[in-house]
Parts: sequence; C-alpha cells; structure tokens
Amino acid sequence: MIATIVHTDELLQTVAASVIAGIGVTFLFSLGIWGAGQFTELSRSERPVAATAAAVVGAVALLCVAGAVATGIVVMTHK
Amino acid sequence: MDSDVILVIVVATALAFDFTNGFHDTANVVATSISTGAARPQVAIGFASLLNFVGAFISISVAATVAKDVVDAEVITPTIVFAGLIGAIAWNLITWYFGLPSSSSHALIGGVVGSAVAAVGFDAVIAEGLVGKVLIPAVVAPILAFLVAGAAIGISYRVVGRQRPGIVSRGYRYGQIVSGGLLALAHGTNDAQKTMGIITLALIASGELGAEADPPFWVIASSATAIALGTYSGGWRIIKTTGTRIIKMDAAQGFSAQGAGSAVILASTHFGFPLSTTHVINGGIMGAGAGKRLSAVRWGVAGNIFVAWLLTLPAAAAIGGLTYGFTRIFGTGALGPILVTLMALSLVVAAFARRAQRGAPVTAAGG
Repeated sequence: MIATIVHTDELLQTVAASVIAGIGVTFLFSLGIWGAGQFTELSRSERPVAATAAAVVGAVALLCVAGAVATGIVVMTHK
Repeated sequence: MDSDVILVIVVATALAFDFTNGFHDTANVVATSISTGAARPQVAIGFASLLNFVGAFISISVAATVAKDVVDAEVITPTIVFAGLIGAIAWNLITWYFGLPSSSSHALIGGVVGSAVAAVGFDAVIAEGLVGKVLIPAVVAPILAFLVAGAAIGISYRVVGRQRPGIVSRGYRYGQIVSGGLLALAHGTNDAQKTMGIITLALIASGELGAEADPPFWVIASSATAIALGTYSGGWRIIKTTGTRIIKMDAAQGFSAQGAGSAVILASTHFGFPLSTTHVINGGIMGAGAGKRLSAVRWGVAGNIFVAWLLTLPAAAAIGGLTYGFTRIFGTGALGPILVTLMALSLVVAAFARRAQRGAPVTAAGG
C-alpha cells in the first residue's frame, strides 16, 4: 500500500541520483580547487611537471563539473 | 458578468501569489551566496531574478496545477482556487514576517485543499496524492539534502584541507555563483509553472480555453514577470534566517549546501518525485553545518523552521477554508471574492503603513 502511494522506484532513483550528483559534483569541484592550489604551490617551488599534472587534474575535474551543470540545464528543459 | 469578474480576480490573485512565491523563496537561491560574500546582495538578487524569469520560459510541460494530484479536479471552481490562493498568500506573508523559510508549494496545496474541503467536504481530497506527492516528499527532501550536503562538506574539507585559505574561499565563491544560478533557473521553471497552471485552470473552468489547452503566452509572460519581480523585491527576513541564523557559513559550506541542493532538486525533477526547493536548501544548509560539527547548527532556529513546515499545510488549509466560507456568505457571485480582495489589500496597506511608522525595513544594508 505504502509502496504504491510513494512510488518507491522514483524515490530510490531520486535518492541515488542525488547522492551521486551532489557528492560527485562537490568532490570534483573541490578537486578543481585542489588542482589550482597545487599548481600555484608547485610552480612556486619550481616543480613544473608536478604543477602541470595538478593543473590537468584540476582542469579535467572542472570540465566534468561543467558537464554536470549542462546536464542539469538539459534536465530542466526536457522535463 | 460575475464569472468574468471572478476570473479577473483569480488571475490577479494568482499573480499576487506568484509575487509572494518569488519574494518568499529569494532566500533559497541567494542566501548562501550573500552570506559567504560570493556575491553582493543586490547583484545576487538581480541575477536570481533574471534567471527566475528565464526559467519560467524553459518548460511548460508541467504547467498543470500542483493541486490536481491532491484535489478532485471535477470539484474545482474559480472561487475555490481564489480562496486557496488567499490561504497560500496569507501563510507566505505570515512566515515571511517571522523570517521562516516555508514551502510556497505546500502553502498553495494546503490553501486549495482547505477551500475544496470547505466547499464539498473531505471527498474532494485525493488522500493517495496528498501522502505520495506532498507528505512523503516533505519528509524525504530535508533528510536527503541534509545527508548529501553533510557528506559533501566532509569530502570537500578532506580534498582542500591543506590548500591556502585564500584560493579555497575564492574557488568556492565562484562555484556558488554557478550553483546559485542553477537553483534560480530551476526555481523559475518549477514555481512559475504553478501560477501558470492555476491561471490556465481558471481559464479552462470559465470556458475561455479548451480542456487540453496549453497556457497562452500572456500567462507565461505575466507569471515569469511576477515571480521575477517578487524575487527582485527580496524577502530579507528569510534571507537573514537562511543565510546567517541556521549556521555561520564558510564558502565551502555554502557551495556544498547549494551544490547538494541543486543536485537533489534536479534529480527529483528528472525522476518525477517532486521536492520542495525550500525544504531541500534548508536541509542542505543544516547538513553542511552538521558535517563540520553538529553544534555548528543552531538547532533552536532549525526547530522553528520545522514547526513552520509542519504548520504550513493545515494553516494554509484553514485560511483557505475560512476564506471560501466567507465568500459563500455573499452567494456564489463575485461579491464575496471582491470583498475578500478589498480586505486583503486593506490589510497589506495597513501593514506597510505600520512598518513605515516603526522604521526602516530589513534590507541588504540593514541586515
């Protein structure tokens, strides 16, 4: 009875997607900030390879965030 | 003639509700950004207002009334809709006065349920819809956002914990501009459609539109304008509560709350499990605070907010029901709605006059 009223599938899908997207986007954005911070630090200590690697990690993470934002806008326009 | 007058009153009241919806929910979108200094107050509100306007045009696919799943559509009349809107507007203004973030959607549903019950009895209520579409989501939304934001802030602190504070704060503040923008778009898309749905329903009920008609352009444009103007007016009392009174927020917490909130709202939109923006954002803020330290959340303030959430449906329903009962004293014509409208306008004017006498309102500058 309760399962019929609540639409358990939709609820579970919402919970799963929220957890993955909410935690995932925050993690990736934090990784972007980490990359920027590490790039600055490592560049100062003249370690160009490590600095570049950190910058690449950060940039990829931020690109993933941009993709998630674009997905969010698509979700809004297609509901 | 009477039906035309009632239709005009319903449209005007729906737009007034839309304005209070934007006004009341500004905090959901901008409070964390203002609180962490990610954006200056007027800039944040102007940006949110613009995106709410744009959001209202993005989709009209759910521009049916939010109440149709909880009230038998066959019994709905323009006067029931009018009384429900008065219940929702009144509850929005009451919670705004006390600086409490409560759900405008729940206020609207409560108002319409109350007026429908007053009109035709409890048979008008679709219990399954009320439980499945309103009550369960009301419990799920804040808990889910709380847990997601709590986990997100824990991960954020681990990832950036050893970085220089300057770059971390700047980074999250930039992120908040994007997550705030997404929230504003989502809010415009979701909430302006409630008004479009109400006006469209009234137009259908009065025979101005066919049963399957989409909202006309003037309905979309006026709903978008009303919610954007309401957002631009800024409900500073609620912004203060959401932004500073629940937790003392740093930029990472602000981003986690907004990012988790956006994710939860968009996920619920995608999977068709409607959650209140207000419940999600406030749950997210509490989660972002508790994720750092449980005592970082002012649980007394959180408790007041929970009480407001619990009261929203019954209080809006009671006001909606009483309003409907009052209109019926004057028959089924336009006189009842006209008198209620005049009384409501008098109350609003009196409240503003009293406030003008007592001093400056709570604003961005005044805090």
